Amino acid sequence: MRALDPHSLTQHVDRLYRAAWALCGSREDAEDLVQETFARVLSRPRVLRGDDELYYLMRVLRNTFLTSLRTASRRPVTAAAIEDVVAADPRPTSRPEQAYEAQELYATIAQLPDNFRLAIVAVDVLGLSYKEAALALRVREATLTTRLFRARKQVAERFAPNDRETQQANGKARTPPESLQVKEHHE
Amino acid sequence: MSDRTPPTESELVELVHSIDERAPERLHRRIDALIAERTSAPRGRRAPLRLGLAGALTLGVIAVALAVSLAGGGSKLTLRTAVALTLRPATAPAPAQDPQDPTALAADVEGVAFPYWEDRFGWRSTGARTDSVDGRTVRTVFYARGHQWIGYAIASGSAPRVSGGIARTRGGTVYRFLAEDGSRVVTWRRGGHLCVVSGHGVSDATLMALASWDTGTLDA
Repeated sequence: MRALDPHSLTQHVDRLYRAAWALCGSREDAEDLVQETFARVLSRPRVLRGDDELYYLMRVLRNTFLTSLRTASRRPVTAAAIEDVVAADPRPTSRPEQAYEAQELYATIAQLPDNFRLAIVAVDVLGLSYKEAALALRVREATLTTRLFRARKQVAERFAPNDRETQQANGKARTPPESLQVKEHHE
Repeated sequence: MSDRTPPTESELVELVHSIDERAPERLHRRIDALIAERTSAPRGRRAPLRLGLAGALTLGVIAVALAVSLAGGGSKLTLRTAVALTLRPATAPAPAQDPQDPTALAADVEGVAFPYWEDRFGWRSTGARTDSVDGRTVRTVFYARGHQWIGYAIASGSAPRVSGGIARTRGGTVYRFLAEDGSRVVTWRRGGHLCVVSGHGVSDATLMALASWDTGTLDA
């Protein structure tokens, strides 16, 4: 066990931002989520059981994300969303194609059910091992494996050329396939 | 995207791993400021005092970096002093919702009321303070949502002219944004009075939405 060094957390900002982006589906919400996650972690001294701070950050990110969902669901629905003004990201990007891919991919992940979303974010986006991800998400490793498999499958289906071409041919907007609506029964 | 559409699970995983988008610099700066704030502050302090320390820290940066200037008509009230007040701790209880106007708090400066945001936006008022700056009254109400907080100041008397910053117009009102480490500031005129909102952990989009809410009918 060791005390968490706040200064060591800065190395994880980029990865945590990508994870938050995939959870929220938007850059702006991701910024707020990451900042709130760090604010929580830094609110008092922390002791880590292992060496991996990223696993710990993922756990706090998950809790912060779920709390924000619950809070949002309690608020009355209004016609005008608070985030109706999107601040432009002033950063120039030298790889617009990758930025587009990230936007598309993370937006698709963000459409998954919460449990699937968290699984694919913890393992594929953040890069945690199955064991670390299971601990961070407070589920059994077998459950995580199942969720991850289903999450990847659904995202892959979402990007499947046949599906997209069929939708375009039918003139339909891109909507989540039926598989995205499947409830998880593997608890 | 269609060129690199991952039809298989393994290709999807590869694509996810290949994305290495960096977080915006402003987020890095905010995290750095959070870490600096927490590592320099003694542990176990209560929130109001912690906010005060954060405010003092941020204010030092703002004092150096603000590109906004005021050309006040002989008044010593500056944007800098108004911002400073929004970063200080509360000294009075939070005002309650105005029973006569559900969109406002029962607190105002010369008829310009502080908004009630809790039901609409989830921001609850947490405290208030009143200061006197060169004969003017500056009243500040503090709001919080989760770990985010903001200070909303309204100054009495006519608002001095403000220039600089990043100007955005909404509903005929000009809002000027300043982004600093760990703190975002927006200033505008409301009912002829200078209004300043500084946020900690709050995006420009949120500040804009909050600042522009219900003010459209107050400004000529």
